[in-house]
Amino acid sequence: MKFTKLYLTLFLGFISNVVLSQEIQLASFLIPQELKEDANAVIRDESTVIRITAINQMSVKVSRTITVLNKIGRGYVDAFVGYDNDTKIVGLSAEIYDALGKRLKKVKKKDFLDFSAVDGGTLYSDNRVKQLEYTPTTYPYTVKFDYEYETSSTGFIPRWRPMDWFYIGVQKSSYKIINSTGIKLRQKKVNLDKFSVEDLSQGHVINYIMKDQKPLEYERNTKSFVELTPMLYVALDDFALKGVKGKATNWSEFGKWMNNKLLEGRDVLDAATVENVKKMVAHTNDPVEKAKIVYKFMQDKTRYISVQVGIGGWEPIAANQVDKVGYGDCKGLTNYTKALLDAVGVTSYYTVVYAKNRKDIDKDFTSMQGNHVILNIPNEGEDVWLECTSQIMPFGFLGDFTDDRNVLVITPEGGVIKRTPAYLNEFNLQAMNASISLDVEGNVKADVVIKSKGIQYDNRFHLESLSNQELKKQYKTDIWSYNNNLTIHKMNLSNDKDSIVFTEKISMDVQNYATTQQGAYLFRANVFNKNSYVPKRYRNRKLPLQISRGFKDVNEFTIKLPAGYVLEALPSDYILENKFGSYKVVFKALEDGSILYKRALLIKAGDYPKEDYKPYRSFRKKIAKYDNLRLSLIKKS
Amino acid sequence: MKKITTILTLFIAANLFAQEVKFGKITKAALEEKMYPKDSVADAAYVYRYRRTHYEYTAREGFVVITEVHNRVKIYTKEGFKKATESIGYYKPDKGSSERVSDIKGYTFNLENGKIKKTKLAKSDIFEEKLSKYRSVKKITMPALKVGSIIEWKYKLISPYDRVIDDLEFQFDIPVKKLNYIIETPEWYTFNKRPKGYYLIASKESKRSGSISFSGNRVGTRTFGGSDVTSPQDSQINLAFNKSVYEANDIPGLKGGEPFVSSIRNYRGGMKYELSAITYPNSMPKLLALTWEDVAKRIFKAGSFGGELEKTSFFKDDLQTLLASAKTNNEKIIAILEFVKSKVKWNGYYGKYTDASLRKAYKEGAGNVAVINLLLTSMLREAGFDANPVLTSTRANGIPILPTSNGFNYVISSITTPNGVLLLDATNEYSTVNVLPFRVMNWSGRLIKKDGTSSEVPLIPKRHRLEDNFVSVKLSDDGSIEGMVRTKYTGYNALSYRSRNNPVKEEDVISKLEENYSVEIDNFKVTNDKNIVKPIARVFKFSSEDHVEEISGKLYVNPLLFFTMKTNPFKVEERKYPIDFGIPWKDKNTVTIEIPEGYTVESVPTVAAIGLPDGLGLFKFQVKQAGNKIKVISLLQFNQGVIIPKYYAQLKEFFKQVVEKQTEKIVLVKS
Repeated sequence: MKFTKLYLTLFLGFISNVVLSQEIQLASFLIPQELKEDANAVIRDESTVIRITAINQMSVKVSRTITVLNKIGRGYVDAFVGYDNDTKIVGLSAEIYDALGKRLKKVKKKDFLDFSAVDGGTLYSDNRVKQLEYTPTTYPYTVKFDYEYETSSTGFIPRWRPMDWFYIGVQKSSYKIINSTGIKLRQKKVNLDKFSVEDLSQGHVINYIMKDQKPLEYERNTKSFVELTPMLYVALDDFALKGVKGKATNWSEFGKWMNNKLLEGRDVLDAATVENVKKMVAHTNDPVEKAKIVYKFMQDKTRYISVQVGIGGWEPIAANQVDKVGYGDCKGLTNYTKALLDAVGVTSYYTVVYAKNRKDIDKDFTSMQGNHVILNIPNEGEDVWLECTSQIMPFGFLGDFTDDRNVLVITPEGGVIKRTPAYLNEFNLQAMNASISLDVEGNVKADVVIKSKGIQYDNRFHLESLSNQELKKQYKTDIWSYNNNLTIHKMNLSNDKDSIVFTEKISMDVQNYATTQQGAYLFRANVFNKNSYVPKRYRNRKLPLQISRGFKDVNEFTIKLPAGYVLEALPSDYILENKFGSYKVVFKALEDGSILYKRALLIKAGDYPKEDYKPYRSFRKKIAKYDNLRLSLIKKS
Repeated sequence: MKKITTILTLFIAANLFAQEVKFGKITKAALEEKMYPKDSVADAAYVYRYRRTHYEYTAREGFVVITEVHNRVKIYTKEGFKKATESIGYYKPDKGSSERVSDIKGYTFNLENGKIKKTKLAKSDIFEEKLSKYRSVKKITMPALKVGSIIEWKYKLISPYDRVIDDLEFQFDIPVKKLNYIIETPEWYTFNKRPKGYYLIASKESKRSGSISFSGNRVGTRTFGGSDVTSPQDSQINLAFNKSVYEANDIPGLKGGEPFVSSIRNYRGGMKYELSAITYPNSMPKLLALTWEDVAKRIFKAGSFGGELEKTSFFKDDLQTLLASAKTNNEKIIAILEFVKSKVKWNGYYGKYTDASLRKAYKEGAGNVAVINLLLTSMLREAGFDANPVLTSTRANGIPILPTSNGFNYVISSITTPNGVLLLDATNEYSTVNVLPFRVMNWSGRLIKKDGTSSEVPLIPKRHRLEDNFVSVKLSDDGSIEGMVRTKYTGYNALSYRSRNNPVKEEDVISKLEENYSVEIDNFKVTNDKNIVKPIARVFKFSSEDHVEEISGKLYVNPLLFFTMKTNPFKVEERKYPIDFGIPWKDKNTVTIEIPEGYTVESVPTVAAIGLPDGLGLFKFQVKQAGNKIKVISLLQFNQGVIIPKYYAQLKEFFKQVVEKQTEKIVLVKS
């Protein structure tokens, strides 16, 4: 008993001790409730101070204190800093605190893990990372992470993204740039006005601060995080990148710089290669025809291997090097294709783009942007776009990787912003026709023909690269997983790369498809294109609705009924139509006793207010339900 | 004459063999080949895999293990291009001896205008990368690759770790046309060989005489076992080498991608080598491992294992406080287990040896598996329990067949009681007595007592993991349903429920359920989600319009509603490796359906009972009607965690019948 008492006293003594110290600020219980309620972590205090003292001299000092509330929050400690031969880490340390604000551990620079900044898809990169390694013993805990680096590259100035990610509360985040160079510093403010961000900028000092920001909760089918939250981008009119000086007052000038410093001279090919491609196109004068031949040649000869070296990962591998080894990354392969096209007299331009998640190169804000490169053939106003990292993509097709967005086209005269083609709604068409026959036991025999275009082509044409065995598996376990006992007899795929249509012809049977128990005969009319997608239900939807990709499916199934059976009742037409799209199912009795099932589903891409989420969900729910519609047959009397 | 012919033939054969695989030389016919003859769907194939591992003695380092590798690959499709990038991992710690990779050479062969064109692997195609404090990797990627190319590369891996021979891999995701591995070990070293997977190659054994010479100024500083070598400079010792040759042709590829697989690599053929004894000249053999008993003893004797169990002083006070409030043995065990879990967190590393002293880990609050479970064992002992460590092999590490110490890579804790052995693992927040993390549940472990003796303990629980659902539901004549579900999760299912859902907000758990079950949920409540010694009980109310079909005035309903198994998890025709559920399991559903007024039952599914051979599993299904209520009971049960592939066809058929039965409808008509 005495022991316990002593223990208690010590414990209390310990608390009061802590209260007196400064560290108490780090105690987790001091975080306002509304900041941690829906949070996995709370940024307690993050400050970024950037000093630009010359065109090629910048120091960045960051202090980031974050309280991790749970296991998921551990992923947002972000206690790492990248470096390379141009970026020197001059200070690095971390401190770990427990929930009461008591310091548990101090980590010095030499105790940080050091590894190569290579992600899964990259073979090699000369960038490196130092990262804190710490196993938390309890939650919450707090990490204070401090680093400072100096670099001679001012082309990439760290942006400010105070909210970090979904489910992260922010108690305080500040950002400051002291630019003493006299070079003009431009800012691009995104959503700053929609949040309580204070602007304390004065003279040549840019300074923003955000305080007490509640976390944002993730919801599906909405805009991307960066479109929803505050962000500040900054860029210098004159900058340096790994010792190369550049100008970026406008896109034209910036493009010229890229052309002169990063691309020029890297497009030289061996005479033999030039001769070779010239010979290949000798029979034609049509530039598009020539480009097709060159593109095919490039696709057959090369493969994508990501190697990130050279000027900030921005300089392509020289064309003759790609020619020799037969591989390269997006920059290398695009530059190589450009060089080949030059050799046959077709003009093309290296083009910078944000790939995958749709994002524009900002036409009003010139800076280092983009994460991918494609090729533009101006073709006298009829732009042709080439994705050079794929060995199988059809000529002139971009797919959902880079469609419908602003890109930076680099011409020798300067940079130009253009927009890639959009693959919209009805363009992404899949037509599926089937002739289906049912037998008395409830088995289905069917021949199906599927033609896919646009983004549906993009989703489908990789099937061509599968072996027969894998393809069968794909149909059984993925495409038609809802049909049990499926046996594929014949498959025939054809890929028309000229008109960009992918055709699948499949013969199969489905054993025990219909329910035939107890004298009934029931079967689902939509045998092969059941869409069961229903958006998640939100009790209280907060974010706007975005349907990011539209498409259209049309079906015509001719269903031959088993001998001796007729349809009990022909369902009437079912039609839904609204701003999100339309759905139409029509049944027809054919003369020979068969039924024709016709279905058309159109989903339109678009942005809608959050109030539209519920009606959209209900629309999809109705579709999912009607796609499950079963018909009942009765014996002919 | 005959003899001479034979010798001549042998000579020629050997010569031919040598020619066939000479580095940098290939035939036009091989380049023209369009597909792998024995497996037409292969994207690529190893035309040749060669490995020679042998020992050399150097004055500076003593024995070094040299492994020479030569691989040749034929590319059949663009998918096969992945095989043109190879990663050669090697051990390169910040401190201590490093392995080295040298003499990397490679060629790509293509057919151009009917001629063989050879492209050399350039220095710039080789990349070096540091992976961690301990490991580095050299990556090569072959140039001028095309469909139809043949690529080959060779290199040398030199290791100062003379007691370790890297695993021999016989089987890959792509087929191998010809394999030739040669392992030569000095006669002083005895290796245990442990085959793995579903493809075995018998070795041809022989002996080769040889010698090692000492030179330089380090003579005498290196001792051989008990007898110091005090030979003069440049002296020679005769030493024979044991040579094992593994040769095979046409090894099929083995790909994963099916449901219920632990790690496909465990099923691919190979051979593991482990040093079991060292016998230096003129001295007694030093046994390293022979029986499981020996293995256990050897591990036990290591300072970072048994030694750590002796130290108790640093936790004595905490333990006393902890035990003050616990009365029964059960309470004490739970108190200690939970204390260790909260005191020292798992840092993500496996290991049967500690990566820090228990004292240090105790202070800093993190450690590897051995640290945590030895600390647990030590505290349990100190509290008076007959607690002992149990060595185990994780599921990913494979099945321990022959007694080797590498066969174990993990340790848990145990308490021997009059009623049997209790197993504990404090590395997982939700693990409790006899409910171990999934990774541990792999065959059996080796329990090591204080005196170093050991015995086998099964790790896979006999008790089924159970999900038990009770549903009562009311149907309306408009096809909507309303009802309540009570679910009980026990054993491993409770652990898995907690790991999955405890870190997630309740709202998200609910909406996930709503999505999976196509219902809207109210009054959701989970009890015992934090109290891990008890089963989880979950209750919720639901409503939905998606579970009843109305066709021609009749209502059709799935008897098990959203617990219906609608699709067969097994789709492919053939399976070459086991179906691994991990643990025996049981899914039980009891559904009571109240039918709407004005309706009568037209038909209900008939009773079914299906069994799998050899008591592997069973399915029982029963529907009973009483008044306006229908009661459905469904039980699906598997009595073994792992089912060998020979049962695959039966298993597939079994699930087909389960799906058919569970999707049979209850039909209601207007009365």
